[in-house]
Amino acid sequence: MIARPPGTAPRPYRFPDFVRHELPNGLGVWLVPLPERELVSVHLMTDAGAATEDEAQAGIAALTAQLLVTGTQRLDAAAFAETTERLGIEVGSESSWDSARAGFTALGSKLPDGLALLAEMIRSPRLDEREFERMKAERLNDILQARADPGRLADESFLREVYAADVPYGRLSAGTPESVGALEVAAAREFHASRYAPNVADIVIAGAIEPDTALAAVERHLGNWSGDGTGHRTFKPRQRGGRRVVLVDRPGSVQSELRVGHLGIDRHHPRYFAALVMAALLGGVFGSRLNLRLREELGYTYSARCSFDPRRAMGPFIASAAVQTEVTVDAIRELLGQLDRMRADAPGPKELAEVRDFLVGVFPLRFETTAGIATAIEPLAVYDLPDDHWHTYRSRLEAVTDDDVLVAARELVRPDEALILVTGDAGSLRDNLASAGLGPLEVVTPA
Amino acid sequence: MPQVPIERHALENGLRVILSRDPRAPVVAVNLWYDVGSKHEKAGKTGFAHLFEHMMFQGSSNVEKGQHFSLVQAAGGTCNASTWLDRTNYFETLPGHELELGLWLEADRMASLLPAMTQEKLDNQRDVVKNERRWSVDNQPYGDWDERIQELVYPDGHPYHHSTIGSMEDLSAASLTDVGDFFATWYAPNNAVLTIAGDFETDAALEMVRRHFGPIPPNAALPAPPDMRVDPRIGSNVRETKADQVPLARVYLAHRSPPFGTDAFDALDVSADILGSGRASRLYASLVREQRLAQDAGVFVFPIVGGASIFTLWVTARPGVTQETIETATLAEIDRLASDGPSDADLERVRNLHAAHAAGALERISERADRLSMYACLFDEPERINREVARYAAVDGARVSAALRDSVRADNRVTLTYVPAEGAS
Repeated sequence: MIARPPGTAPRPYRFPDFVRHELPNGLGVWLVPLPERELVSVHLMTDAGAATEDEAQAGIAALTAQLLVTGTQRLDAAAFAETTERLGIEVGSESSWDSARAGFTALGSKLPDGLALLAEMIRSPRLDEREFERMKAERLNDILQARADPGRLADESFLREVYAADVPYGRLSAGTPESVGALEVAAAREFHASRYAPNVADIVIAGAIEPDTALAAVERHLGNWSGDGTGHRTFKPRQRGGRRVVLVDRPGSVQSELRVGHLGIDRHHPRYFAALVMAALLGGVFGSRLNLRLREELGYTYSARCSFDPRRAMGPFIASAAVQTEVTVDAIRELLGQLDRMRADAPGPKELAEVRDFLVGVFPLRFETTAGIATAIEPLAVYDLPDDHWHTYRSRLEAVTDDDVLVAARELVRPDEALILVTGDAGSLRDNLASAGLGPLEVVTPA
Repeated sequence: MPQVPIERHALENGLRVILSRDPRAPVVAVNLWYDVGSKHEKAGKTGFAHLFEHMMFQGSSNVEKGQHFSLVQAAGGTCNASTWLDRTNYFETLPGHELELGLWLEADRMASLLPAMTQEKLDNQRDVVKNERRWSVDNQPYGDWDERIQELVYPDGHPYHHSTIGSMEDLSAASLTDVGDFFATWYAPNNAVLTIAGDFETDAALEMVRRHFGPIPPNAALPAPPDMRVDPRIGSNVRETKADQVPLARVYLAHRSPPFGTDAFDALDVSADILGSGRASRLYASLVREQRLAQDAGVFVFPIVGGASIFTLWVTARPGVTQETIETATLAEIDRLASDGPSDADLERVRNLHAAHAAGALERISERADRLSMYACLFDEPERINREVARYAAVDGARVSAALRDSVRADNRVTLTYVPAEGAS
């Protein structure tokens, strides 16, 4: 065999430098000038994610974020869509657990107009009742659609079953049918008034900008934005029960969607970098252990993977695969076997080097686009990460040893506590799962 | 709009080579289009071009099974491949200093795939592909829409009549002999385009290309292209209604339409965006926002080049809204645009959105490389990448109306409707 050709010397790459300001009203401003770019990306993050909502109003954060794009005091829904899209700008607005984000990517020349419209939308949204009722109905319909989709049904069922009943993360960040059904437009107006405010907001502008001009534009449109946002609540997630099997019936399914896991890590976990390397090695790249075993050796699935979902508080750790119904029990055993193996021995030097080198080497590729760079700034603002986070990122990955990976696996991968959730045809699966010795079985029929 | 730089070269064995240098970021894209897709499959062999694509990752003379991915990843790169009606593409994005790794990997499998093939590997990837089909089609709500539309838009026996994923029966029947035949027929340098985009030195890159790909022999007996001829219209409104495990009804209206690369295609592309792109689009504004009949809607036209393409509108009904109601409302929007033509505001909107999307797509060198390969492979004209925006902007209201009147009409339609099955929530 001929060996692979050697590379030449790598060219140095550095994550783009940015400048950071805070306006007197508390708004954080992050400017990333990227000369030679044609585009500009603007992301405005507010501490108005689902973690800021009252439990009784679950879903109001998501609905309010979606409602923002339906117009301003000055422009109704049709006029706002027309005005922005005629500039070649599609404004997005969405929320997660940890923040709400609105923004757009456009040709650099459109920045002044786009920024003015974005600021108008954030500061004086229309929030009218007719559009609110439409968004609410669309959300309820989406919940119906999600139940018919095996992957979404499995994702949502896993979260509901893995978190203790009173932990917000157990429900959907966009709300449940019951909570959304009870929401009224007054709640969205109140939520906007109390959560969207400059002291809990940051704006990132990356791309074809001149920093002083961009700062002046931000000051002009958002400098006199006033208000005092309440910010998020904190809570400590707990798991519901220990090792058990939950079968969510989806009659007629020809595959089982598997979700196996438990609580994972928060964004400030001390083993964050070791966890990142470990999860990549176990199920984050094509050549990961899960994918090699379940796909490339056994042919059970098109793809097997795992990941952490670090949030302000502990998000889940989930290993997943969609496998043909007949091999469901065998596939679960194989998947658990890989979790056990991860805890048993440290990875070999070649295996570890490959994954670490991937995560380090792929770094410049992640930041090819202005939107990619703006997105990279978000966690710095949302999670208060140090300004040099991306500048030290690669050296911190490179410092992860085989022993670090083993310690992380033993702490963070716990098959003995895992919830094994299966979405599939209960008629075919129930008896096999009950007698497999994987843990107590509960069969759930979705509403 | 800045122009994408293009240098065309060719090797003696017929390999077309496109270079597009851009050293701004230290990354390079390697992209190969083979002029073979599911339209080249023979009866009883549906899905084979795609299954074969999987086999291309199972090793070659100097690369072990799984090593293609692991070498690229260890180098800090990403890679993948895809198969569609007209073509199969393979691509790597790598740090610039690892360009030769990508070229060597692609050349090794183009030169010497077969010595590494085994029955065991074929059986494994057959199982993987069957699970890909289950995951993307058989176990998905509305999952077989494109398969059904192709079967209904094109006559039996037409090369676009069957889907790229293929049937379970044909996948079961695929043999090692088929792998060998397919490779010998189609995977030759004179049936491929190689594009390199991003951070490289031109002379060094060309030297590497010649060294790795130059010795690979061409196939002197490439088959003639398949006969793609088809009547420009279907001739009727073909209706099919399926009861499925879906909570909301959905209607697909599909039409035989002029192929990618024609002026009429561009006009339909613009029509699709006026009708279906963004919150100011006609279908969203009317059916979703104002009348509140639909949960969502979309319009697209396939960029395929043989005989005829497909112009498709789809609309998902809200609960309690019948499929007849959304079908009628959708047709009313088509008729209004065809008869009145677009407004200046419509055209300004979609042109500016299109220009922004094009600039966004071309920010990524992998996309730049893929489009260069596409235009070179399908039209032998990579320079088309620099005319995309101008072609789109040249479409005026009269061309929109004419294209809709010619193609998007009742005697040229497949109406595919999914309705909730009895007992579906």
